[in-house]
Amino acid sequence: MSLKDVNLPDIGEGVTEGELVQWLVKIGDTVEADQPVAEVMTDKATVEVPTPFAGTVKEFKASEGDVIPIETAMLVLDTRGAGASATPAAAPKAEAPTPAPAASAPQAAAAPQQAATASASADYYPPVADSKVLATPGTRRLAREMKVDINELSGTGLAGRVTREDVMGAFSGGTGAVSAGTPTMSLPPRMAYQGPAGAAEERVSMRGIRKKIAENMQMAKRIVPHFTLMEEANVTQLYKMRGEAKAYGEKHGVKVTYLPFVIKAMIATLREYPMFNASIDDEAQEVVYKKYFNIGFAADTPQGLLVPVIKNADQKTILELSAEITDLATRAREGKLKLDEMKGATITVTNIGSVGGTYATPIINHPEVAILGMYKIEDKPVMMNGKFRAQKVMNYTITADHRLIDGAVAANFMRAFVNRIQSPSNLMLDMM
Amino acid sequence: MSMYDVCVIGSGPGGYVAAIRSAQLGLKTAIIEREDLGGVCLNVGCIPSKAMITAAHFLHRMQHDGPTMGITASKIDFDMKQLKTWKQSVCDKMSGGVNQLLKGNSVDIIMGEAQWKSKTEIIVKTKDGSKSVAAKNFIVATGSRPIEIPGFQADEKDVVTSTGALDFEEVPKKMVVIGGGYIGLEIGSYMQGLGSEVHVLEAADGLLKGMADPDCVQVVARKLKKKGVQVHLGAFAKSWKKSGKQLEVTAEIKGKKEAIAADKILLTVGRKPNSDEMDFKKVGVQVDEKGFVKINAQCRTSIPNIYAIGDVAGQPMLAHKASHEGVLAAEVIAGKNRVYDAKTVPAVIFVDPEIASAGWTEEECKANGYADLKVGKFPFGANGRAVSMMETDGFVKIIANASNNVVLGVHIVGPEASNLISEAALAIEMGATLEDLALTIHPHPTLGETMMEAAEATLGHAIHIIQKPLRKPANGASANA
Repeated sequence: MSLKDVNLPDIGEGVTEGELVQWLVKIGDTVEADQPVAEVMTDKATVEVPTPFAGTVKEFKASEGDVIPIETAMLVLDTRGAGASATPAAAPKAEAPTPAPAASAPQAAAAPQQAATASASADYYPPVADSKVLATPGTRRLAREMKVDINELSGTGLAGRVTREDVMGAFSGGTGAVSAGTPTMSLPPRMAYQGPAGAAEERVSMRGIRKKIAENMQMAKRIVPHFTLMEEANVTQLYKMRGEAKAYGEKHGVKVTYLPFVIKAMIATLREYPMFNASIDDEAQEVVYKKYFNIGFAADTPQGLLVPVIKNADQKTILELSAEITDLATRAREGKLKLDEMKGATITVTNIGSVGGTYATPIINHPEVAILGMYKIEDKPVMMNGKFRAQKVMNYTITADHRLIDGAVAANFMRAFVNRIQSPSNLMLDMM
Repeated sequence: MSMYDVCVIGSGPGGYVAAIRSAQLGLKTAIIEREDLGGVCLNVGCIPSKAMITAAHFLHRMQHDGPTMGITASKIDFDMKQLKTWKQSVCDKMSGGVNQLLKGNSVDIIMGEAQWKSKTEIIVKTKDGSKSVAAKNFIVATGSRPIEIPGFQADEKDVVTSTGALDFEEVPKKMVVIGGGYIGLEIGSYMQGLGSEVHVLEAADGLLKGMADPDCVQVVARKLKKKGVQVHLGAFAKSWKKSGKQLEVTAEIKGKKEAIAADKILLTVGRKPNSDEMDFKKVGVQVDEKGFVKINAQCRTSIPNIYAIGDVAGQPMLAHKASHEGVLAAEVIAGKNRVYDAKTVPAVIFVDPEIASAGWTEEECKANGYADLKVGKFPFGANGRAVSMMETDGFVKIIANASNNVVLGVHIVGPEASNLISEAALAIEMGATLEDLALTIHPHPTLGETMMEAAEATLGHAIHIIQKPLRKPANGASANA
């Protein structure tokens, strides 16, 4: 028997671990070298991890949902007799994988080769209250149900007792007990949902991109005080210009949409209002102004929302931007984006208008401080020189982090942006 | 074959509680029992021994305390057979109650011995064959059984365990108890009260070693001596023989060989977990070197759908710990976020007088990093109710953290200690301070006042005992005035 571990490879700069979303093979499957064996999610991208060598799947070292450090064994292959003749296994994506029997067992962590894929704490959170923690049994249970680690609190009660209020305070991030350890944010509550008995309901585990989206959105909403400003722009000229550009692009095999024009107008406005292209370093209590323009754009994919990033968008032409947008969006839908292609945005544009809705209140892609929303173009009567005239009208929103950006600033930003959008010829003046 | 959500193996105070809570949470539940519903506790442990102790205490009071109160009976008869009948009726009532509760909660009761087939199926050997029971989750609550020592194999006739001792037809004239732990002393004490001449052989240099606060043990040891129970420390039972009806135990006592005559030999040297009869290896459940099934804070074993609770899952081997874990395991299976985080499992020893404790001893406090302690005692002799009950032996002792007065341990030896300790357990779970206990009005005249007074004593100013040094008088008033 010739057993070899397949490790989780280094799948991107700065990535130290990945969550196993699902196995693409079963125990007993024969796999070829470079055949994807697992879907692993890191940060935002879900990648298919291939095996570097051929063999028969003997054992899984992790279960779905486990977080695996890189360079750690994921599964074991029996490489004996594997070769060119080995039949490649069909990757049955929908089929339930067989979890390694001991993977979720608490003692499994003790086995040296098990790595850190399983531990007792995987079974429950928060950890058991230390014997030195002073809190009533009821308060201890409340903390557990609210997912507050009572060991991290120093109580405000008599003799340091952790009170119900301390737990509630830690849970809402408000006053009350202060965290004894690092000033990490307490986790939001994980309330159970129990439907009526016998109700027609289906349960699907929150995994992969869905889980990551949920975490990111929750974090952004908890950290950032959002506000949204809405404005209407007369885009009749832009409509015409884009129509011509579209025809021109088609000749060059590029689909030109409104997004690159919006990006160009936004970048020009960002130069005027740099606090929209910034981040807040909460720990250092400093504002970081960015001198580069990496524009994220929201892409709807079957797995959920992804945000591909166009790097240095200020240095690219409308045609280049168009080609890059098409490429990134296509690969996002196919789940083939590289992790690097979804990192490092300085501001994000969300184009819900392509689907529908007049206005939305988007959530900022933290640690960015603003998100621009663009909505569908409609024919509307606009009063011009005393007469109603049919015009192309498009709605925009700017959602900003009020810690850094005040309402009046956002209104000025919006006015400057809309001016550019309404007179695209002026946009030329800003071009580099 | 229908699939249960939960199958509980063993119907002792852990198992039946787990089954009832599982059913309450809407889980389809079965329980397996190979002997009697209620397990050791209800049938051959806690409950029958308490019936016997009550009888022995009653007899003792009639004989010794009655005349002082002006009550004399011209002739006090004692019939062991009748006592046994009554004791059995107590057990039957309790076991029947468990049966009713299980049925009332729609738990399927399967009588027989369980053996693993797979992680989701067991085979139960019933009296008319065998039966397969499949379940998504199992709760192992198989309990424990008495340990034997070399040379002494329990036949439940001459050499008996607690099970046999609780079923004596007549009071043995002479009884040798091997093991001075709580079971040996409970049975030895009541047997002495019912008329036996009792010898206790304990290998260690003290009784109840590691089971109770040493100060408390001292009170009990004194009383045992006063009543005539012969306690031999540093005593190792080596062998026994039978000539005619008479038994003789040979023991090495403090290095010297001695022979002690007996009618019965009681073996109470400890208990071991029942983890060796179900082939846990087959399903991969890990068992530690002492035979306890390894569990995490959710009572989950190394196999995620198999849970273990009570004696089989570790110390302390106490019924109330098993019940607590039973509820916990059932709730975890039902999807609730629960862990075992109790601060104390109170322990009770039904000797004379009773010993009860919650929290740590002084030694344990120090081992847990509390070097600076306040310790106070209040004697039952200064409590009106205890005096009027003619039960004045013993005290309440409280240990608190000196820096913030948080109660860390309470140790009681005295009348109704078993019923008094729950207040202490609550205090420790709530993180109560000495002030909390002292400022809670306790009704008079009750034994419970001793808890309040002991808290006051620990703070240095109990009312009903003289505590020195006295504080400096305030406002220049003379202390002698």
